[in-house]
Amino acid sequence: MAEDRFQTIVNEIYERFKVYGVTRKEIESRLKLLLFEFKVPEEEAKRTIVNGLRKNYNIAKGDLKTPIVKISQIEPNQWVSLKGKIIQLWEPSSPTIAQTGLIGDETGTARFVVWSKSNKKRLEEGKSYLFEKVVVDEFMGIKSIKVTSVSDIKEISEEIEVKEERGEIEVVGALVAIQQNSGLLQTCKLCGRVVKAGICVEHGKVETNEVLRLRGVLDDGERTYDLTLNEKCISSLTGIGIKEARKLAEEHLDRSIVLMELKKRLFGKYLKVSGELRFRSLNASSVEFYRPEILKEVEKVLGEEGI
Amino acid sequence: MIKGMKREVAKRVFSKEFNYSKFKVGGEGEKEAVYVLTPLGLRCNRLFIVGVLLEKEEVKPDSDMWRIRVADPTGSFLGFVSKFQPEALEALVDLNPPEIVAITAKAKLLERGDRVIPLIRPENINSSDFQTRDYWIVETAKATLKRIRAIENGEEKAVIEKYDPDLEEFRSAVINALMKLKEEQNILEKGREFEREDKERKEVKKDLGFEIDEEIVDLSDFDIGD
Repeated sequence: MAEDRFQTIVNEIYERFKVYGVTRKEIESRLKLLLFEFKVPEEEAKRTIVNGLRKNYNIAKGDLKTPIVKISQIEPNQWVSLKGKIIQLWEPSSPTIAQTGLIGDETGTARFVVWSKSNKKRLEEGKSYLFEKVVVDEFMGIKSIKVTSVSDIKEISEEIEVKEERGEIEVVGALVAIQQNSGLLQTCKLCGRVVKAGICVEHGKVETNEVLRLRGVLDDGERTYDLTLNEKCISSLTGIGIKEARKLAEEHLDRSIVLMELKKRLFGKYLKVSGELRFRSLNASSVEFYRPEILKEVEKVLGEEGI
Repeated sequence: MIKGMKREVAKRVFSKEFNYSKFKVGGEGEKEAVYVLTPLGLRCNRLFIVGVLLEKEEVKPDSDMWRIRVADPTGSFLGFVSKFQPEALEALVDLNPPEIVAITAKAKLLERGDRVIPLIRPENINSSDFQTRDYWIVETAKATLKRIRAIENGEEKAVIEKYDPDLEEFRSAVINALMKLKEEQNILEKGREFEREDKERKEVKKDLGFEIDEEIVDLSDFDIGD
Protein backbone atom coordinates (compact mmCIF):
# COMPACT_ATOMS: atom_id res chain seq x y z
CA MET A 1 0.00 0.00 0.00
CA ALA A 2 1.18 3.46 -0.83
CA GLU A 3 2.51 5.53 2.02
CA ASP A 4 0.11 8.40 1.39
CA ARG A 5 -2.91 6.09 1.44
CA PHE A 6 -1.69 4.67 4.74
CA GLN A 7 -1.33 8.16 6.19
CA THR A 8 -4.81 9.13 4.98
CA ILE A 9 -6.32 6.30 6.98
CA VAL A 10 -4.25 7.19 10.03
CA ASN A 11 -5.37 10.79 9.75
CA GLU A 12 -8.99 9.86 9.30
CA ILE A 13 -8.97 7.87 12.53
CA TYR A 14 -6.78 10.37 14.37
CA GLU A 15 -9.16 13.26 13.58
CA ARG A 16 -11.98 11.36 15.23
CA PHE A 17 -10.07 10.40 18.36
CA LYS A 18 -7.62 13.22 19.01
CA VAL A 19 -9.96 14.93 21.48
CA TYR A 20 -9.72 11.82 23.66
CA GLY A 21 -5.92 11.96 23.75
CA VAL A 22 -5.23 9.18 21.27
CA THR A 23 -1.83 9.53 19.60
CA ARG A 24 -1.00 9.12 15.94
CA LYS A 25 1.68 6.57 16.88
CA GLU A 26 -0.84 4.33 18.54
CA ILE A 27 -3.01 4.27 15.43
CA GLU A 28 -0.06 3.76 13.11
CA SER A 29 1.26 0.73 14.93
CA ARG A 30 -2.14 -0.96 15.07
CA LEU A 31 -2.81 -0.23 11.44
CA LYS A 32 0.60 -1.56 10.41
CA LEU A 33 0.00 -4.74 12.32
CA LEU A 34 -3.39 -5.38 10.75
CA LEU A 35 -2.60 -4.31 7.21
CA PHE A 36 0.95 -5.49 6.69
CA GLU A 37 1.32 -8.47 8.98
CA PHE A 38 -2.17 -9.90 8.99
CA LYS A 39 -3.10 -8.53 5.53
CA VAL A 40 -6.58 -7.62 6.70
CA PRO A 41 -8.68 -5.62 4.17
CA GLU A 42 -8.52 -1.87 4.65
CA GLU A 43 -12.13 -1.38 5.76
CA GLU A 44 -11.91 -4.21 8.29
CA ALA A 45 -8.68 -2.84 9.72
CA LYS A 46 -10.23 0.61 10.08
CA ARG A 47 -13.30 -0.75 11.81
CA THR A 48 -11.28 -2.88 14.18
CA ILE A 49 -9.10 0.03 15.23
CA VAL A 50 -12.05 2.36 15.75
CA ASN A 51 -13.88 -0.24 17.83
CA GLY A 52 -10.74 -1.03 19.81
CA LEU A 53 -10.02 2.61 20.59
CA ARG A 54 -13.60 3.19 21.64
CA LYS A 55 -13.38 0.33 24.09
CA ASN A 56 -9.99 1.37 25.47
CA TYR A 57 -10.99 4.97 26.00
CA ASN A 58 -14.49 4.09 27.15
CA ILE A 59 -16.32 6.10 24.54
CA ALA A 60 -19.98 5.23 23.98
CA LYS A 61 -20.82 4.66 20.31
CA GLY A 62 -23.06 7.72 20.21
CA ASP A 63 -20.51 10.06 21.74
CA LEU A 64 -17.83 9.62 19.17
CA LYS A 65 -17.28 12.86 17.28
CA THR A 66 -17.30 12.63 13.52
CA PRO A 67 -15.59 15.07 11.15
CA ILE A 68 -17.75 17.60 9.31
CA VAL A 69 -17.40 16.97 5.59
CA LYS A 70 -18.79 18.32 2.35
CA ILE A 71 -21.26 16.19 0.45
CA SER A 72 -18.95 15.80 -2.55
CA GLN A 73 -16.36 14.15 -0.27
CA ILE A 74 -18.47 11.46 1.33
CA GLU A 75 -17.46 7.86 0.74
CA PRO A 76 -19.34 4.64 1.49
CA ASN A 77 -18.94 3.22 5.03
CA GLN A 78 -17.77 6.54 6.48
CA TRP A 79 -19.23 7.97 9.67
CA VAL A 80 -19.49 11.71 9.11
CA SER A 81 -21.21 14.92 10.07
CA LEU A 82 -22.42 17.39 7.49
CA LYS A 83 -24.40 20.55 7.02
CA GLY A 84 -26.99 20.62 4.28
CA LYS A 85 -30.29 21.89 3.05
CA ILE A 86 -33.26 19.61 2.47
CA ILE A 87 -34.02 20.02 -1.21
CA GLN A 88 -36.81 17.52 -1.54
CA LEU A 89 -38.70 15.00 0.53
CA TRP A 90 -40.04 11.85 -1.10
CA GLU A 91 -42.72 9.40 -0.15
CA PRO A 92 -41.00 6.68 1.95
CA SER A 93 -41.24 3.31 0.24
CA SER A 94 -41.39 1.33 3.48
CA PRO A 95 -42.72 1.83 7.02
CA THR A 96 -39.18 1.33 8.35
CA ILE A 97 -38.29 4.67 6.76
CA ALA A 98 -39.55 7.81 8.48
CA GLN A 99 -38.32 10.24 5.88
CA THR A 100 -36.30 10.15 2.72
CA GLY A 101 -35.22 12.72 0.19
CA LEU A 102 -32.43 14.79 -1.18
CA ILE A 103 -29.99 16.89 0.82
CA GLY A 104 -27.49 19.30 -0.72
CA ASP A 105 -24.67 21.67 0.05
CA GLU A 106 -22.48 23.89 -2.10
CA THR A 107 -20.54 20.87 -3.36
CA GLY A 108 -23.30 18.51 -4.39
CA THR A 109 -26.34 16.51 -3.39
CA ALA A 110 -27.00 13.12 -1.85
CA ARG A 111 -29.96 10.99 -0.91
CA PHE A 112 -30.72 10.52 2.73
CA VAL A 113 -32.83 8.11 4.74
CA VAL A 114 -34.11 8.69 8.27
CA TRP A 115 -35.01 5.34 9.82
CA SER A 116 -38.29 5.21 11.75
CA LYS A 117 -36.49 3.60 14.68
CA SER A 118 -34.19 6.62 15.01
CA ASN A 119 -37.06 8.72 16.45
CA LYS A 120 -35.98 12.02 14.97
CA LYS A 121 -37.91 15.26 14.70
CA ARG A 122 -39.39 15.64 11.23
CA LEU A 123 -37.28 17.48 8.67
CA GLU A 124 -38.80 20.19 6.52
CA GLU A 125 -38.12 20.98 2.90
CA GLY A 126 -36.05 24.13 2.36
CA LYS A 127 -34.59 24.18 5.88
CA SER A 128 -30.95 23.59 6.70
CA TYR A 129 -29.68 21.08 9.26
CA LEU A 130 -26.52 19.82 10.88
CA PHE A 131 -26.45 16.03 10.56
CA GLU A 132 -24.08 14.52 13.13
CA LYS A 133 -22.82 10.95 13.25
CA VAL A 134 -24.54 9.71 10.12
CA VAL A 135 -23.27 6.82 8.07
CA VAL A 136 -22.81 6.76 4.31
CA ASP A 137 -23.66 3.81 2.17
CA GLU A 138 -24.00 3.17 -1.50
CA PHE A 139 -26.78 1.53 -3.42
CA MET A 140 -26.82 1.13 -7.20
CA GLY A 141 -23.97 3.58 -7.52
CA ILE A 142 -25.80 6.29 -5.62
CA LYS A 143 -24.46 7.40 -2.27
CA SER A 144 -26.95 7.76 0.47
CA ILE A 145 -26.78 9.08 4.02
CA LYS A 146 -28.39 7.03 6.77
CA VAL A 147 -29.72 8.69 9.92
CA THR A 148 -29.82 6.19 12.78
CA SER A 149 -30.63 6.39 16.48
CA VAL A 150 -27.05 7.45 17.34
CA SER A 151 -27.23 10.37 14.91
CA ASP A 152 -28.07 13.90 15.96
CA ILE A 153 -29.94 16.38 13.83
CA LYS A 154 -30.06 20.08 14.62
CA GLU A 155 -31.76 22.77 12.63
CA ILE A 156 -29.35 25.58 11.72
CA SER A 157 -30.11 29.10 10.57
CA GLU A 158 -27.14 29.22 8.20
CA GLU A 159 -28.17 29.80 4.60
CA ILE A 160 -26.75 27.02 2.44
CA GLU A 161 -26.31 27.58 -1.27
CA VAL A 162 -27.01 24.28 -2.94
CA LYS A 163 -25.13 23.25 -6.04
CA GLU A 164 -27.70 22.71 -8.74
CA GLU A 165 -27.78 19.03 -9.54
CA ARG A 166 -31.15 18.81 -11.12
CA GLY A 167 -33.29 20.81 -13.42
CA GLU A 168 -32.95 21.82 -17.04
CA ILE A 169 -29.42 21.67 -18.31
CA GLU A 170 -27.57 21.70 -21.60
CA VAL A 171 -24.51 19.51 -22.07
CA VAL A 172 -22.14 18.63 -24.86
CA GLY A 173 -20.51 15.24 -24.77
CA ALA A 174 -19.66 12.16 -26.74
CA LEU A 175 -22.10 9.25 -26.86
CA VAL A 176 -19.64 6.63 -25.55
CA ALA A 177 -22.05 3.75 -24.96
CA ILE A 178 -25.43 2.57 -26.16
CA GLN A 179 -27.16 0.04 -23.91
CA GLN A 180 -28.71 -3.18 -25.17
CA ASN A 181 -32.17 -2.11 -23.99
CA SER A 182 -32.34 0.44 -26.79
CA GLY A 183 -33.98 0.38 -30.20
CA LEU A 184 -37.44 -0.77 -31.18
CA LEU A 185 -38.78 -2.38 -28.02
CA GLN A 186 -41.95 -3.96 -26.74
CA THR A 187 -42.99 -2.88 -23.27
CA CYS A 188 -45.60 -4.30 -20.91
CA LYS A 189 -48.86 -2.35 -20.98
CA LEU A 190 -49.22 -2.82 -17.23
CA CYS A 191 -45.77 -1.90 -15.91
CA GLY A 192 -43.75 -0.47 -18.77
CA ARG A 193 -40.94 -3.01 -18.46
CA VAL A 194 -39.26 -4.24 -21.62
CA VAL A 195 -40.88 -7.47 -22.72
CA LYS A 196 -39.12 -10.30 -24.52
CA ALA A 197 -41.17 -12.68 -26.69
CA GLY A 198 -44.39 -11.23 -25.29
CA ILE A 199 -43.63 -12.35 -21.71
CA CYS A 200 -43.29 -9.76 -18.94
CA VAL A 201 -41.16 -10.87 -15.97
CA GLU A 202 -43.79 -9.43 -13.64
CA HIS A 203 -47.09 -10.01 -15.46
CA GLY A 204 -46.50 -13.02 -17.73
CA LYS A 205 -48.10 -12.99 -21.16
CA VAL A 206 -49.28 -9.43 -21.71
CA GLU A 207 -50.36 -6.92 -24.29
CA THR A 208 -47.50 -4.72 -25.31
CA ASN A 209 -46.73 -1.21 -26.48
CA GLU A 210 -44.11 -0.61 -29.09
CA VAL A 211 -41.56 2.11 -28.31
CA LEU A 212 -38.45 3.50 -29.93
CA ARG A 213 -35.94 4.52 -27.33
CA LEU A 214 -32.22 4.89 -26.74
CA ARG A 215 -30.41 4.49 -23.43
CA GLY A 216 -26.79 5.44 -23.50
CA VAL A 217 -23.96 7.26 -21.82
CA LEU A 218 -22.97 10.82 -22.65
CA ASP A 219 -19.43 11.62 -21.55
CA ASP A 220 -17.72 15.02 -21.64
CA GLY A 221 -14.35 13.74 -20.41
CA GLU A 222 -15.03 14.94 -16.87
CA ARG A 223 -18.28 13.24 -15.96
CA THR A 224 -20.89 10.91 -17.41
CA TYR A 225 -24.63 11.17 -17.81
CA ASP A 226 -27.07 8.29 -18.25
CA LEU A 227 -28.86 9.56 -21.30
CA THR A 228 -32.34 8.67 -22.50
CA LEU A 229 -33.50 9.69 -25.96
CA ASN A 230 -37.16 9.34 -26.88
CA GLU A 231 -38.60 8.71 -30.33
CA LYS A 232 -38.72 12.41 -31.18
CA CYS A 233 -35.05 12.90 -30.34
CA ILE A 234 -33.96 9.77 -32.20
CA SER A 235 -35.94 10.82 -35.22
CA SER A 236 -34.49 14.34 -35.24
CA LEU A 237 -30.95 12.91 -35.26
CA THR A 238 -31.34 9.97 -37.61
CA GLY A 239 -34.60 10.39 -39.47
CA ILE A 240 -35.67 7.07 -38.00
CA GLY A 241 -39.00 7.42 -36.25
CA ILE A 242 -41.15 4.58 -35.04
CA LYS A 243 -42.65 4.08 -38.52
CA GLU A 244 -39.26 3.82 -40.17
CA ALA A 245 -38.02 1.57 -37.37
CA ARG A 246 -40.96 -0.80 -37.86
CA LYS A 247 -40.34 -0.87 -41.57
CA LEU A 248 -36.67 -1.69 -41.01
CA ALA A 249 -37.56 -4.47 -38.61
CA GLU A 250 -40.10 -5.90 -41.04
CA GLU A 251 -37.72 -5.82 -43.98
CA HIS A 252 -35.06 -7.68 -42.01
CA LEU A 253 -37.51 -9.82 -40.02
CA ASP A 254 -35.55 -8.73 -36.96
CA ARG A 255 -36.04 -5.96 -34.43
CA SER A 256 -32.42 -5.87 -33.40
CA ILE A 257 -31.55 -4.31 -36.76
CA VAL A 258 -32.92 -1.03 -35.37
CA LEU A 259 -30.45 -1.03 -32.49
CA MET A 260 -27.61 -1.87 -34.87
CA GLU A 261 -28.60 0.98 -37.14
CA LEU A 262 -28.75 3.43 -34.22
CA LYS A 263 -25.33 2.31 -33.01
CA LYS A 264 -23.87 2.80 -36.47
CA ARG A 265 -25.23 6.32 -36.77
CA LEU A 266 -24.81 7.59 -33.22
CA PHE A 267 -22.02 5.80 -31.37
CA GLY A 268 -19.03 8.09 -30.84
CA LYS A 269 -20.79 11.25 -32.02
CA TYR A 270 -20.71 14.51 -30.13
CA LEU A 271 -24.19 15.53 -29.09
CA LYS A 272 -25.59 18.72 -27.62
CA VAL A 273 -28.40 17.68 -25.33
CA SER A 274 -30.98 19.75 -23.48
CA GLY A 275 -33.02 17.97 -20.91
CA GLU A 276 -33.87 17.32 -17.32
CA LEU A 277 -31.10 16.10 -15.06
CA ARG A 278 -31.86 13.96 -12.01
CA PHE A 279 -28.72 12.69 -10.34
CA ARG A 280 -26.90 11.15 -13.25
CA SER A 281 -29.93 10.58 -15.45
CA LEU A 282 -30.42 13.00 -18.29
CA ASN A 283 -33.76 12.81 -20.01
CA ALA A 284 -33.36 14.62 -23.32
CA SER A 285 -36.05 17.00 -24.48
CA SER A 286 -34.05 18.05 -27.51
CA VAL A 287 -30.82 16.95 -29.07
CA GLU A 288 -28.62 17.80 -32.05
CA PHE A 289 -25.25 16.78 -33.43
CA TYR A 290 -22.68 19.17 -31.95
CA ARG A 291 -20.93 20.88 -34.83
CA PRO A 292 -18.94 23.85 -33.63
CA GLU A 293 -16.87 25.99 -35.97
CA ILE A 294 -13.58 24.15 -35.61
CA LEU A 295 -11.46 27.07 -36.84
CA LYS A 296 -12.82 29.37 -34.15
CA GLU A 297 -12.36 26.73 -31.47
CA VAL A 298 -8.76 26.12 -32.53
CA GLU A 299 -7.97 29.83 -32.59
CA LYS A 300 -9.45 30.22 -29.12
CA VAL A 301 -7.25 27.48 -27.64
CA LEU A 302 -4.15 28.81 -29.43
CA GLY A 303 -5.00 32.31 -28.22
CA GLU A 304 -5.04 31.11 -24.62
CA GLU A 305 -1.54 29.76 -25.18
CA GLY A 306 -0.41 33.14 -26.50
CA ILE A 307 -0.10 32.00 -30.13
CA MET B 1 -22.70 -1.30 -17.43
CA ILE B 2 -22.92 -3.29 -14.25
CA LYS B 3 -25.41 -1.73 -11.88
CA GLY B 4 -24.06 -0.37 -8.64
CA MET B 5 -20.68 0.46 -10.10
CA LYS B 6 -19.65 3.96 -10.85
CA ARG B 7 -19.00 4.28 -14.55
CA GLU B 8 -15.49 5.33 -15.40
CA VAL B 9 -15.28 8.57 -17.35
CA ALA B 10 -13.74 8.17 -20.82
CA LYS B 11 -10.67 10.41 -20.73
CA ARG B 12 -9.28 12.30 -23.73
CA VAL B 13 -5.57 11.91 -24.30
CA PHE B 14 -3.25 12.08 -27.31
CA SER B 15 -1.27 8.95 -28.17
CA LYS B 16 2.05 10.70 -27.54
CA GLU B 17 1.22 11.31 -23.89
CA PHE B 18 -0.40 7.91 -23.44
CA ASN B 19 2.49 6.00 -25.01
CA TYR B 20 4.95 7.48 -22.51
CA SER B 21 3.03 5.92 -19.60
CA LYS B 22 4.95 3.57 -17.37
CA PHE B 23 3.03 3.39 -14.10
CA LYS B 24 -0.29 2.15 -12.83
CA VAL B 25 -2.13 3.60 -9.86
CA GLY B 26 -5.13 2.44 -7.83
CA GLY B 27 -6.40 -1.11 -7.67
CA GLU B 28 -5.71 -1.29 -3.94
CA GLY B 29 -9.13 -1.80 -2.43
CA GLU B 30 -11.14 -4.71 -3.75
CA LYS B 31 -13.41 -2.49 -5.77
CA GLU B 32 -10.94 0.14 -6.82
CA ALA B 33 -10.21 0.27 -10.51
CA VAL B 34 -6.70 0.25 -11.94
CA TYR B 35 -5.63 3.41 -13.73
CA VAL B 36 -2.82 4.11 -16.12
CA LEU B 37 -0.92 7.16 -14.94
CA THR B 38 0.31 9.26 -17.87
CA PRO B 39 3.40 11.50 -17.67
CA LEU B 40 1.12 14.53 -17.45
CA GLY B 41 -0.73 13.12 -14.47
CA LEU B 42 -3.88 11.81 -16.14
CA ARG B 43 -5.33 8.80 -14.35
CA CYS B 44 -7.19 6.89 -17.02
CA ASN B 45 -9.10 3.65 -17.02
CA ARG B 46 -11.32 4.28 -20.04
CA LEU B 47 -10.46 6.35 -23.11
CA PHE B 48 -12.48 7.91 -25.90
CA ILE B 49 -10.48 8.22 -29.11
CA VAL B 50 -11.35 9.46 -32.58
CA GLY B 51 -8.57 8.75 -35.05
CA VAL B 52 -7.56 6.96 -38.21
CA LEU B 53 -7.58 3.17 -38.17
CA LEU B 54 -4.33 2.47 -39.99
CA GLU B 55 -3.85 -1.24 -39.50
CA LYS B 56 -5.89 -4.23 -38.51
CA GLU B 57 -4.24 -7.58 -38.54
CA GLU B 58 -5.11 -10.93 -37.04
CA VAL B 59 -2.31 -11.79 -34.63
CA LYS B 60 -2.39 -15.46 -35.65
CA PRO B 61 -4.64 -16.94 -38.33
CA ASP B 62 -8.08 -17.88 -36.92
CA SER B 63 -7.14 -16.62 -33.45
CA ASP B 64 -9.86 -13.95 -33.47
CA MET B 65 -7.31 -11.69 -31.81
CA TRP B 66 -6.71 -8.56 -33.83
CA ARG B 67 -3.95 -6.03 -33.51
CA ILE B 68 -4.95 -2.50 -34.53
CA ARG B 69 -3.18 0.82 -34.84
CA VAL B 70 -5.11 4.08 -34.61
CA ALA B 71 -3.40 7.36 -35.43
CA ASP B 72 -4.00 10.83 -34.05
CA PRO B 73 -2.00 13.95 -34.94
CA THR B 74 0.74 13.09 -32.41
CA GLY B 75 1.36 9.39 -33.09
CA SER B 76 -0.65 6.20 -32.80
CA PHE B 77 -2.36 3.94 -30.30
CA LEU B 78 -1.63 0.24 -30.30
CA GLY B 79 -4.69 -1.87 -29.56
CA PHE B 80 -5.87 -5.45 -29.31
CA VAL B 81 -9.40 -6.70 -29.93
CA SER B 82 -10.36 -10.23 -29.03
CA LYS B 83 -13.51 -12.27 -28.46
CA PHE B 84 -13.70 -10.79 -24.98
CA GLN B 85 -14.79 -7.53 -26.64
CA PRO B 86 -17.57 -9.00 -28.81
CA GLU B 87 -19.07 -5.68 -29.86
CA ALA B 88 -15.75 -4.23 -30.92
CA LEU B 89 -14.82 -7.44 -32.71
CA GLU B 90 -18.08 -7.48 -34.65
CA ALA B 91 -17.69 -3.85 -35.67
CA LEU B 92 -14.07 -4.34 -36.71
CA VAL B 93 -15.08 -6.84 -39.40
CA ASP B 94 -16.75 -4.09 -41.42
CA LEU B 95 -13.94 -1.58 -41.06
CA ASN B 96 -11.19 -1.26 -43.64
CA PRO B 97 -8.09 0.87 -43.05
CA PRO B 98 -7.58 3.69 -43.55
CA GLU B 99 -10.83 4.80 -41.99
CA ILE B 100 -11.79 7.32 -39.32
CA VAL B 101 -13.08 5.55 -36.25
CA ALA B 102 -14.47 6.46 -32.84
CA ILE B 103 -13.40 4.11 -30.06
CA THR B 104 -14.08 3.61 -26.39
CA ALA B 105 -11.39 1.47 -24.86
CA LYS B 106 -9.84 0.33 -21.62
CA ALA B 107 -6.33 1.68 -21.03
CA LYS B 108 -3.78 -1.02 -20.22
CA LEU B 109 -0.08 -1.41 -19.55
CA LEU B 110 1.47 -4.61 -20.80
CA GLU B 111 4.58 -5.62 -18.89
CA ARG B 112 7.18 -7.52 -20.89
CA GLY B 113 10.31 -8.05 -18.83
CA ASP B 114 11.55 -4.59 -18.01
CA ARG B 115 9.57 -3.03 -20.83
CA VAL B 116 6.13 -1.51 -20.34
CA ILE B 117 3.90 -1.24 -23.37
CA PRO B 118 0.83 1.01 -23.17
CA LEU B 119 -2.07 -0.29 -25.22
CA ILE B 120 -5.82 -0.07 -25.56
CA ARG B 121 -8.50 -2.77 -25.41
CA PRO B 122 -11.43 -1.35 -27.40
CA GLU B 123 -14.93 -1.96 -26.03
CA ASN B 124 -16.68 -0.34 -28.97
CA ILE B 125 -15.58 0.82 -32.39
CA ASN B 126 -17.61 2.66 -34.99
CA SER B 127 -16.78 4.43 -38.19
CA SER B 128 -16.70 8.18 -37.68
CA ASP B 129 -16.19 11.36 -39.69
CA PHE B 130 -13.77 14.25 -40.13
CA GLN B 131 -15.87 16.72 -38.18
CA THR B 132 -15.98 14.46 -35.12
CA ARG B 133 -12.25 13.83 -35.43
CA ASP B 134 -11.53 17.56 -35.62
CA TYR B 135 -13.53 18.32 -32.52
CA TRP B 136 -11.88 15.44 -30.68
CA ILE B 137 -8.50 17.04 -31.42
CA VAL B 138 -9.69 20.38 -30.02
CA GLU B 139 -11.16 18.76 -26.93
CA THR B 140 -8.08 16.62 -26.32
CA ALA B 141 -5.76 19.58 -26.85
CA LYS B 142 -7.69 21.57 -24.24
CA ALA B 143 -7.54 18.72 -21.72
CA THR B 144 -3.82 18.18 -22.32
CA LEU B 145 -2.93 21.87 -21.94
CA LYS B 146 -4.92 21.93 -18.71
CA ARG B 147 -2.82 19.05 -17.36
CA ILE B 148 0.39 20.81 -18.37
CA ARG B 149 -0.71 23.97 -16.53
CA ALA B 150 -1.54 21.93 -13.42
CA ILE B 151 2.00 20.51 -13.39
CA GLU B 152 3.48 23.97 -13.96
CA ASN B 153 1.51 25.17 -10.95
CA GLY B 154 3.04 22.41 -8.85
CA GLU B 155 -0.26 20.58 -8.34
CA GLU B 156 1.08 17.18 -9.37
CA LYS B 157 4.18 16.57 -7.24
CA ALA B 158 3.90 12.77 -7.41
CA VAL B 159 3.84 12.85 -11.21
CA ILE B 160 6.90 15.07 -11.44
CA GLU B 161 8.73 12.69 -9.12
CA LYS B 162 7.80 9.65 -11.16
CA TYR B 163 8.18 11.00 -14.69
CA ASP B 164 9.85 14.39 -14.58
CA PRO B 165 8.04 15.11 -17.89
CA ASP B 166 9.45 17.40 -20.55
CA LEU B 167 6.48 19.78 -20.59
CA GLU B 168 7.74 21.74 -23.60
CA GLU B 169 7.86 18.58 -25.70
CA PHE B 170 4.24 17.69 -24.90
CA ARG B 171 3.09 21.26 -25.27
CA SER B 172 4.64 21.65 -28.71
CA ALA B 173 3.07 18.35 -29.84
CA VAL B 174 -0.34 19.79 -28.91
CA ILE B 175 0.37 23.14 -30.56
CA ASN B 176 1.54 21.40 -33.75
CA ALA B 177 -1.65 19.34 -33.85
CA LEU B 178 -3.71 22.52 -33.51
CA MET B 179 -1.69 24.44 -36.12
CA LYS B 180 -2.14 21.60 -38.60
CA LEU B 181 -5.86 21.53 -37.91
CA LYS B 182 -6.02 25.30 -38.37
CA GLU B 183 -4.29 25.04 -41.71
CA GLU B 184 -6.70 22.35 -42.89
CA GLN B 185 -9.65 24.40 -41.72
CA ASN B 186 -8.35 27.45 -43.59
CA ILE B 187 -8.10 25.41 -46.77
CA LEU B 188 -11.58 24.02 -46.21
CA GLU B 189 -12.87 27.51 -45.59
CA LYS B 190 -11.31 28.73 -48.85
CA GLY B 191 -12.91 25.79 -50.61
CA ARG B 192 -16.27 26.67 -49.15
CA GLU B 193 -15.86 30.32 -50.18
CA PHE B 194 -15.04 29.27 -53.69
CA GLU B 195 -18.09 27.03 -53.77
CA ARG B 196 -20.26 29.84 -52.51
CA GLU B 197 -18.93 32.27 -55.14
CA ASP B 198 -19.32 29.66 -57.80
CA LYS B 199 -22.89 29.04 -56.76
CA GLU B 200 -23.65 32.76 -56.68
CA ARG B 201 -22.25 33.13 -60.15
CA LYS B 202 -24.42 30.29 -61.37
CA GLU B 203 -27.44 31.76 -59.67
CA VAL B 204 -26.87 35.09 -61.36
CA LYS B 205 -26.72 33.31 -64.69
CA LYS B 206 -29.87 31.42 -63.90
CA ASP B 207 -31.64 34.64 -63.00
CA LEU B 208 -30.64 36.18 -66.31
CA GLY B 209 -31.84 33.14 -68.19
CA PHE B 210 -35.17 33.27 -66.44
CA GLU B 211 -35.76 36.93 -67.23
CA ILE B 212 -34.90 36.45 -70.84
CA ASP B 213 -37.24 33.49 -71.01
CA GLU B 214 -40.01 35.59 -69.59
CA GLU B 215 -39.50 38.26 -72.17
CA ILE B 216 -39.68 35.73 -74.94
CA VAL B 217 -42.83 34.18 -73.60
CA ASP B 218 -45.82 35.92 -74.99
CA LEU B 219 -49.09 35.01 -73.38
CA SER B 220 -50.77 35.09 -76.73
CA ASP B 221 -48.63 32.11 -77.73
CA PHE B 222 -50.65 29.93 -75.39
CA ASP B 223 -53.87 28.44 -76.47
CA ILE B 224 -55.88 28.99 -73.32
CA GLY B 225 -58.95 27.44 -74.76
CA ASP B 226 -62.51 28.56 -74.49
